[in-house]
Amino acid sequence: MINEVRNTVLSILSKDNRGYITPFEFNLFAKQAQREIFENYMQQYSNAYLKRIGRAYGEGYTDVPKRIAEGMDIFYTSSNLTYSGTHFNTPANMYLLDKLVYNSLEVEKVSHKKILNLLSSNLTAPTTSYPVYTYDENGLIVYPNPTTAVSAYYLRFPLDPKWTYVAMGAGDSDPLFNPSAPDYQDFEVSGDEFTMLVVKILGYCGVSIREQDIVQIAKTQEIQDTQQKQ
Amino acid sequence: MGYITNYQYYTNNGIIPTDSNWGSYQYVSLADIVNNFMLMYVGNDKLVNNVDRYNVLFHAKRAVQELNYDALRNIKVIEFELGDDLKMIMPPDYVNYVRISMLNNGVLFPLVENRTPMSATSYLQDNNLDIVFDVNGEIVTGTSRLDILRQEKQLYTGMGPYQGQYGYYWDGDWYFGYNFGKRFGLNTEEANVNPKFHINKAAGVIDFSTGVENKTIVFEYISDGMENGDDSLITINKLAEEYLYAYIKWALLNNKYGVQEYIVNRVRREKTATLRNARIRMSNLHPARLLMSLRGKDKQIK
Repeated sequence: MINEVRNTVLSILSKDNRGYITPFEFNLFAKQAQREIFENYMQQYSNAYLKRIGRAYGEGYTDVPKRIAEGMDIFYTSSNLTYSGTHFNTPANMYLLDKLVYNSLEVEKVSHKKILNLLSSNLTAPTTSYPVYTYDENGLIVYPNPTTAVSAYYLRFPLDPKWTYVAMGAGDSDPLFNPSAPDYQDFEVSGDEFTMLVVKILGYCGVSIREQDIVQIAKTQEIQDTQQKQ
Repeated sequence: MGYITNYQYYTNNGIIPTDSNWGSYQYVSLADIVNNFMLMYVGNDKLVNNVDRYNVLFHAKRAVQELNYDALRNIKVIEFELGDDLKMIMPPDYVNYVRISMLNNGVLFPLVENRTPMSATSYLQDNNLDIVFDVNGEIVTGTSRLDILRQEKQLYTGMGPYQGQYGYYWDGDWYFGYNFGKRFGLNTEEANVNPKFHINKAAGVIDFSTGVENKTIVFEYISDGMENGDDSLITINKLAEEYLYAYIKWALLNNKYGVQEYIVNRVRREKTATLRNARIRMSNLHPARLLMSLRGKDKQIK
């Protein structure tokens, strides 16, 4: 998808000779655009879920929250956590922690305000049957201290997209797309984000080449696209 | 937890204790209750939402305790031989007693509770009868005189109608237990030929009167079902499962801000109704048992 997005962006930019962006700039803008779309999934999902509770959405193809969730699910992953003596370290690519699991049991997150009460409670003190954890800058503390591996289930950040190419001779206008390069990386967000990716990258390009009308067009298109999806 | 195979049920897959699964089908575990509740009763499209699991766990355990106190009547029975000190330490999961009996010649004799104290906290006093304190300013305590008297009955060898009887000698006077009834009329509350016991809640012991030393005592009591804090052992009879869900739902909504009163009332009624159902179910009132009891209606009392 990344080559189609780049071609579309360049086509719009080259109209009326507005300007050109290099592959390096494109990759930067593409990363930023994808990150924005990804982070917007949470808010979209939350809004859509509330609407579904209010019966604004139906089932099947009209189930918007389900479609958004599917877009997020491709980023859902798990990994065993490393233990540093006191804390479990979180994965570097983690965006949002969904749950911790050890010994096939879910470890429940507890706020710092409640943890001391919980630890001193007779009925609800954390046990191996009902473990809990807290989260601070050093990582995760699990109560009681687990004896088996702890796994984190989380949403990871999307991989940075990279449009790779083969440099042409000095006289050629544009490098040649090379999807076989080892560092090639396509967009990870779903294909129906094509328009949003184009308009967001166009927006950054317009700022970059100081074309106010490009920025304006991109903004208008983005608003329309967002409204259509809701 | 999934269902187990018949082989696993009867033999625990050959693992000792092989009887650990016997009768287990009657029960549902606490883990199942909490898991089912989180799965089926908590959600943004349900009455209960945004609730932490430890909240559910707390109310589930409270519901189990409440059920154990009255509806379930899961009576535990232990037997032990009483020592010369005539004291029995309450079991670690003791909440209240149901019946205490003495095994004598193969027959169980139910004992009667004596509400008058059989032991007390004894303050140590000096020669001037002043209370003795330790270096921390706390009162120094000793052995209760009541305890000593209860255990040290002495043979009265003096003259008179009590000659040859065992009694208590205290401050130059003799005391005999049965004089109480003879002189002031029978105290029907405690009139029983069997020894008596007294529940000493503060001391965590049960005191017995003389006559049960070195005898086997059968102690029936109820617990709160918490299994000494081992969550994995806590179970509840399936006949009361619905009550647990209703109780947890009520407890959560009753303490939640902004829940309409009619909803709280609805779940409260549901809780009460399910408790009533659980009680009826657990009481085992079925025709065969009623018939057994009614068979005695024509028996002539001689």
